[in-house]
Amino acid sequence: MNSPGAEAVVEQRSTSATPRPRRIGDPDSLLGRIVRPVGMAAFFLTAWGLAVRWSGSDLFPTPGNVASGIVELIQKGLLLKYIVASVFRVSWGFTLAVALGVPLGLVLGWYSRAFQAFNPFIQILRPISPIAWIPVAILWFGVSDAAPIFLIFLASVFPITVATIAAVQNMQLVYLRAAQNFGLSTSELFRQVILRACLPQIITGIRIALGVAWLVVVAAEMIAVNSGLGYLIIDARNAGKRYDLVVAGMVMIGLIGLVLDLLVRQLEKFDEVRWGYIGRRK
Amino acid sequence: MRKVLILIAIAWLIAITVVHAWLNLHLFGPTRATNGKKFRIGFLPVTCHLTCPVTDFINKQMTGDSMFEPVRFNGWPELKEAYLSGYTPATFILAPMAMALREQGVPIKIVYLGHRDGSAVMVHKDSDIRRMEDLRGKRIAVPNRFSNQRLLIFRALKNAGMTPKDVDLVEMPPPDMPAALYAKAVDAISSGEPFMAQTELDGYGRVLWLTKDVWPNFISCVLAVHEDMIKNDRDTVQRLVDGIAKSGKWIDKSMEHRMETAQFVSRFYYNQNPRLLSFVLSKPPDRVKYTNLALRKPDFEEIEALGRSAGILSGSAHFEDYTDASFVTDDSAVQPYAWEPNQNEQPRR
Repeated sequence: MNSPGAEAVVEQRSTSATPRPRRIGDPDSLLGRIVRPVGMAAFFLTAWGLAVRWSGSDLFPTPGNVASGIVELIQKGLLLKYIVASVFRVSWGFTLAVALGVPLGLVLGWYSRAFQAFNPFIQILRPISPIAWIPVAILWFGVSDAAPIFLIFLASVFPITVATIAAVQNMQLVYLRAAQNFGLSTSELFRQVILRACLPQIITGIRIALGVAWLVVVAAEMIAVNSGLGYLIIDARNAGKRYDLVVAGMVMIGLIGLVLDLLVRQLEKFDEVRWGYIGRRK
Repeated sequence: MRKVLILIAIAWLIAITVVHAWLNLHLFGPTRATNGKKFRIGFLPVTCHLTCPVTDFINKQMTGDSMFEPVRFNGWPELKEAYLSGYTPATFILAPMAMALREQGVPIKIVYLGHRDGSAVMVHKDSDIRRMEDLRGKRIAVPNRFSNQRLLIFRALKNAGMTPKDVDLVEMPPPDMPAALYAKAVDAISSGEPFMAQTELDGYGRVLWLTKDVWPNFISCVLAVHEDMIKNDRDTVQRLVDGIAKSGKWIDKSMEHRMETAQFVSRFYYNQNPRLLSFVLSKPPDRVKYTNLALRKPDFEEIEALGRSAGILSGSAHFEDYTDASFVTDDSAVQPYAWEPNQNEQPRR
């Protein structure tokens, strides 16, 4: 029990009412929250810049090239447009995946016959990369916004469905017995017992799925849309020696992914979800 | 809590949709095109398809509107699939690809050529490859199995007394080729311009040969339209082919026109540095040509024969099946667009 993290947990549980002293190693301190990640990033950027210089590469950009590439995109007004376009597609694809995946997972997790029928089908579709679906998406949806939304939906619906199925199947029997004693109807059972009991695990599935949804944005925008961060990368490849913009696109995708993850983590702070994380820090 | 979250999600979806529609779809702009009869044409940012953006641009300058909407793709498969899905009823496409689609029963008709010449085989400047024979056992990148660049290499191999088995051909999207050559991942690359000239301009590529040296009047890409469009709306196809033909003549009319083309196409359509297209269109000036683009049977018979020997065509479709040469029968009668560039160009929306 000597590691600083474990100490903090113990501290939080025992003296959560009194303010904790700030000290080195405390994950909430200024050092832990800002200095460490920033220091790591600075080290990484320096190493990157030096590696490019030492290798004498003419094509691979340095962090400075990438930064000026990002500034150029901002000046042209493209960066905001592209971010909005990508976030738009991911928002819709992901929302559709949640709207379909969670109810489907609840039903399949609860009715074992439906599970037997559908599970092999889901497991067959699940490992197919969105890139393989690109031809199908173009044939069905042309090259409008619908095609990338479809690809993002496909990529994120399966993690949500599978997490929800697992959550329902592993639910504690005591909740069900209690619900049966109260004589709940099927719809009440689903909404008030099963969904709530499974919510923490579903949220975990949703968090993974959001990561995946954002991950496939480049592949989804390989279709000839004319906006988006994925499009930025493909367009920069067309533009000749603009690998600074390729890496700029990668950096923006990474940064927005970080923001999305921080937002989804906020969901875990709600009481309805928090009970599922007993024993974890914060 | 659940209600609040759902409300937040709905509000977010509405907000992001509105912003996207405003910024990227221009749905709230004042000058939304009112002409509902516009059709889409697929093209790639290569000089083989240059007349597509040029026609669009000159039409916008002369009449304030274009007769079609150019849709830029990044690779051959997506371009072909968009045509098959009906999204682009007309498209610039590789000649052998159009011919193969016809053999497979796709209602496609070639109506005009995209260009003549305008390809090259490039090697790394440090390599000691000087002749075709030096490529024995080497790896050569081509854009697609249906590309004429592949047929071109087959032809050059044959001329050098070699067979396709003597080299290792790999398929690669043209935009990736310069970096692959730079990294020496391949020994030679071949695709439409400007990706070949880019290696020369950046100082690591050397021309092994230009198409005009090996296969004069080489054709790689053509303008093709859906058969139904010819049946139902012949006038529109005629206007389209006339426009493409006039643009070709316009580009080739003078070096000033070529330099102007490099400027507006790079800025508004390709998103490339104009230096690159200027280089391709001038060094040498006959690197790629846009006149003499009417369909001629002997050209296609040669492609057919090469395609059969390369195993990409079965020979079940012939010139009369996959072309409709009636739109421009006499190339010399085509007049260039009567438009001269001025200073107040409007970027396209």
